[in-house]
Amino acid sequence: MIEIRNMSKWYGDFQVLKDINEEVKQGQTVVVCGPSGSGKSTLLRCINGLEPFQEGEIIVDGVSVGDSATDLYKLRTEIGMVFQRFELYPHMTALQNITLAPMKVRNKSKKEANAGAMGLLQRVGIPEKAYEYPANLSGGQQQRVAIARSLAMEPKIMMFDEPTSALDPEMIKEVLEVMINLSKSGMTMIVVTHEMGFAREVADEIIFMDEGSIIERGTDISFFQNPESPRTKDFLDKILI
Amino acid sequence: MFDAVINNISYLMGGYWVTIKLAFFALAGGIPLGILVGLGRISSNKWVYYPVTFYVNVIRNIPLILVIFWFYFVMPIIIGSPLDPFPSAVISFIIFEATYFGEIIRAGYQSVSKGQIEAGYSTGLTYIQTTRYILIPIALRRMLPSMITQSIVTYQDTCLAFVIGLPELIRRATIVDTLEVRSIQLFGFVAIVFLITCYIGSMISRRFEVKAEEGG
Repeated sequence: MIEIRNMSKWYGDFQVLKDINEEVKQGQTVVVCGPSGSGKSTLLRCINGLEPFQEGEIIVDGVSVGDSATDLYKLRTEIGMVFQRFELYPHMTALQNITLAPMKVRNKSKKEANAGAMGLLQRVGIPEKAYEYPANLSGGQQQRVAIARSLAMEPKIMMFDEPTSALDPEMIKEVLEVMINLSKSGMTMIVVTHEMGFAREVADEIIFMDEGSIIERGTDISFFQNPESPRTKDFLDKILI
Repeated sequence: MFDAVINNISYLMGGYWVTIKLAFFALAGGIPLGILVGLGRISSNKWVYYPVTFYVNVIRNIPLILVIFWFYFVMPIIIGSPLDPFPSAVISFIIFEATYFGEIIRAGYQSVSKGQIEAGYSTGLTYIQTTRYILIPIALRRMLPSMITQSIVTYQDTCLAFVIGLPELIRRATIVDTLEVRSIQLFGFVAIVFLITCYIGSMISRRFEVKAEEGG
């Protein structure tokens, strides 16, 4: 579903991503962890073309992201993205947030889009919040609306960029539950997170990034039990306490 | 009690009409120019950004009354013939107010988080759709209360045009006062006219502020 080959990216002279190779198969959930500034978010943003990269290639569902002939707008309809700070549109209700893209991009009728959105709100557990503005929702509720907004485009892939980092502890669980169900339903997912409980439960692969490189990868238990590099061990010690 | 006002009401209201016209033209020119200034201030083209920023910084650090004066006395030297007070005042106000409206527009634009724009892109919306449905509505909501407030300030500031002899409301009240010597009631009348009209304006502004808060 996603193939990244020898991909590198620079900001000016500074190399943020170094020779990244990764493959995500259909239905897999890959968890990306690592210290801040290690290039995790940038990697996600390169996959859906929010940021350009200079070397190598990224193939998403057979389409080359770096190819200048690629219609990035069309590509992004296939890749949902959930942000750390939710980024709901503050002037729209939860329902309107979800229906905007289906109506404008997929040309769905309002009735059809609303029905789909209500179904998704049901799925993320807050159908009663459909007509609330984001300012009246808790962080956990906002993030669930944001997930529903991405799902409304019926993407083939979902990417999550630290989806629970801006949440109070008691709200993390409600968001993770939605993500776990999504993963179990067969969605292809790339999740940047430090929630190792989530990783243990659903990750098919865990990759550890530091200073722009993938320095370790594992398929689950082995990753936690005997990390190969001292850098990974040090990091895991810190986040697992 | 208001005899001096009542006896000269048509003369005074004629002055108020000049005030209204001046405020109207100042806003009709100042807001569109302000939009251009605002866009210049967020431009990544340095040939646009630096000249516009220079203009904004210079004008915003000069009292309005000086701009009015300066323009009225300097322009005849530049263009070779004297300007009437009314067009001169209108142009001074447009030059001055555009910098303030420009800053409101810049701040409104910058208040929209980059993440909200990217959220739009990530669902497949195009640049135009993102601008149309996300950027402009959010920015507009945030800047509308300040735009209305600045419009009220502009309306009040029109009084300053009396320094170049424009026969607007205050100027005419002064003229009546020299004949009738009824300063308290005449200027009291002027104050009431401004108080009522500005109060209505600020009520409107507050309504939009509440709306902007509800919608984030």
